[in-house]
Amino acid sequence: MQSDNSGPIVKIRDVQPDCVNFVLSECDLALANSVRRSIMAEVPTLAIDIVEIEENSTVLADEFISHRLGLIPLQSDDVDSLLYNRDCSCGDYCELCSVVLTLHAKCTSEGIQTVYARDLLVEPNHSNLKIGQPILNDDANKGSVICKIKKHQELKVKCIAKKGISKEHAKWSPVAAVGFEYDPWNKLKHTDYWYEEDADKEWPKSDYCAYEEPPNPDEKFDYTAKPNNFYFDVETVGTINPNEVILRGIRELRNKVAGVIYSLDEIVARNANEGNAENIGGAGFGTVYGGATQYGGTAYGGTAYGGGTQYGGTAYGTQYGGTAYGNNSAGNDDYNPTTGWD
Amino acid sequence: MSADNQEKSHEKMDIDSNNPAQDEEVAVEEEEEDDQDVEKIKILPGASEDGTAASFQIIEEDHTLGNALKSMIMKNPEVEFCGYSIPHPSEPKLHLRIQTYGNITAVEALHKGLDDLASLCTVVEEKFSQSVASNNYKTVIS
Ligand SMILES: [Zn+2]
Repeated sequence: MQSDNSGPIVKIRDVQPDCVNFVLSECDLALANSVRRSIMAEVPTLAIDIVEIEENSTVLADEFISHRLGLIPLQSDDVDSLLYNRDCSCGDYCELCSVVLTLHAKCTSEGIQTVYARDLLVEPNHSNLKIGQPILNDDANKGSVICKIKKHQELKVKCIAKKGISKEHAKWSPVAAVGFEYDPWNKLKHTDYWYEEDADKEWPKSDYCAYEEPPNPDEKFDYTAKPNNFYFDVETVGTINPNEVILRGIRELRNKVAGVIYSLDEIVARNANEGNAENIGGAGFGTVYGGATQYGGTAYGGTAYGGGTQYGGTAYGTQYGGTAYGNNSAGNDDYNPTTGWD
Repeated sequence: MSADNQEKSHEKMDIDSNNPAQDEEVAVEEEEEDDQDVEKIKILPGASEDGTAASFQIIEEDHTLGNALKSMIMKNPEVEFCGYSIPHPSEPKLHLRIQTYGNITAVEALHKGLDDLASLCTVVEEKFSQSVASNNYKTVIS
């Protein structure tokens, strides 16, 4: 790892096809928690959202089957190539904002037949993209069970899968679980362990205890201490690979910030134009930010906020590793540091 | 804080006649909910005259942005107070209060907090990518 002691550090411990375990260090609990929330609720994926039922003579009700279909994980690596249905100019749905899957299962023999996610057929509009294919990660490559049918029973449906986020419905979550842990020895006393006689004996130790110094019983409680290492254990549902889920989560968080910056710049500019500056205090925004600021000092830790800001002409460099804001290779959002939104 | 500001805001609405948005504030409030072009962020009534203390309302954001932003703004040594709340659980509104020591305005403090948070996100993303690229981790367990 890099040894610069300013700014956050990421150490990946373990990656498997559907999970990643990493430590985020040298940052606030607030940021770590926002990353966690963003991973869980803000990363777009694809999920079945509308089901047109042509024939359902199974024992399960239409809405029961629709619900099960919605929860089936669908390949979402290339979900960014789809529009949100609400932003699309089509009235209903189209190939720009949805993926259509069909399912036709009929039992013609004695005994019970099981209908699996693999029986869903993706219409070929997006065949060159990794999008919409049901995830079949079990040993038999069959995917989730949708229903079971007996002789003469039939299920024929057309499913419209749309892009969405899990803040709206959990079926769009890219993750099954996000483990989030800090301070495994509970030195900060953020946790109050219930006990009968001795909490130390009755509670199992965290796996992460091995990575941190045990508390010294002679030391006084440090009420200024803050958590510093955040242990993430992210398990995906298979729709997006785990490293990508983390990156997209962080990007979604940054896009939120960029959206607010854009709007703030807009209202500040409008207030300045209207000569209505007293609303926001004195000079129109922009003048005060030019050139060197008073932040060049101490509290921000050493090198601080390098003289110029984006408003003074130079790129916006920070102590967090000196990247120009919005100028990173992965930043494919439309925010431009000098002109705002393109 | 709230009672004080409420009074001030009413005063302001009467005086401030060159801002049509404020005059119609009460009437527009209902329609605003459906309006697609409603502002992402606005300055709530009751900001101090010199602009060093102000409250903001950000729509369609929650603790994901609010808590990280608050903590980032608090790091600024020029900021005396910063806090956020979600006034009602069924309204997608985030309120953010900033008071500075007087050398910068609340808007500047907010802007700086946003810029810093964005930079921090960029760096975390880069550090994660570097860590992935370094290949310095286990890939299979047990
Ligand atoms: Zn469409």
